[in-house]
Amino acid sequence: MANVPSDQEALDAIREELANIKVPGAEQATADQTWADLDVDSLDLVEVVKALEDRYDVQIADGRLKSIATVGDAAGLVQELTREKEGATA
Amino acid sequence: MPDTARKNGHDGCALVTGGTRGIGAAIAERLEADGWQVARLSRTSGDVQADVGDAKQVKAAFEEVHERFGPVLVLVNNAGVRHDGLAIRMPEEEWQEVVDTNLTGAFNCTRSALNDMLGARWGRIVNVSSVVAERANAGQANYVAAKAGLLGFTRTVAREMAKRGVTCNAVTPGVIETDMTADLADGLVTAVPAGRVGRPDEVAAAVAFLVSEEAAYVNGATLAVDGALGA
Repeated sequence: MANVPSDQEALDAIREELANIKVPGAEQATADQTWADLDVDSLDLVEVVKALEDRYDVQIADGRLKSIATVGDAAGLVQELTREKEGATA
Repeated sequence: MPDTARKNGHDGCALVTGGTRGIGAAIAERLEADGWQVARLSRTSGDVQADVGDAKQVKAAFEEVHERFGPVLVLVNNAGVRHDGLAIRMPEEEWQEVVDTNLTGAFNCTRSALNDMLGARWGRIVNVSSVVAERANAGQANYVAAKAGLLGFTRTVAREMAKRGVTCNAVTPGVIETDMTADLADGLVTAVPAGRVGRPDEVAAAVAFLVSEEAAYVNGATLAVDGALGA
């Protein structure tokens, strides 16, 4: 399961993608912060999700977007999807 | 490439739907003269073929455009059809085809292009609506509804993308001399305050302004090119 990111790796990936779209304080973002805390709007989130999809080669369905309210939720979803992908190809 | 695209470090193209005839051809020609690499999309001819009302065909066409021309940084939603008749006797398919091409077509193409523009942090969308969108025209319920819908769509996309350097505006041509209006131009000229029909290159000039760097703060606007017909 080498391709499933650790908690820290997933968090770092999201911080990086937030920084790429110039979200202030992206590097210090914590798992419990909401998008509203970070001033991330719906279009920002679309960009972050697209970047994470490309980075991990996963698809994040629109239905699941609604369940990610915090940075930690997004990290968890990335881990879950990469785990599913690993399982499917194992 | 225009400076705008080069400054952003992105090579890209301008895509004009319905770009092989009438107003669309004039717009394509003008954008080329302004330095853009232009992809003309049309149902049966042009550089890329697709029925814009068909989401799958549009997706495939954009893939082809990406390969041959690069990302789409300018999109002109110009493809349009007319099936005139009184609402009371309008066949469902004539309503549907006009709405599919003139309104859903713009949505399909815009959705695809926005991904490119979002990545580039720069983009220009110009929707070719019509003078009838803000008034009414008996015998064109389908066309007027679609063109009016296009204005609401324009303003909404403008708001959604405003922070990303992407603008979305509309032009509302009046009576313009093209194949599509050949059957109705004569009777309408008397109603045009300018006393003449417009030329496709006059619409193209307005589009070229909205595409320009100078128009960066013009967003969600409707620019009438109608000889005061709609005033």
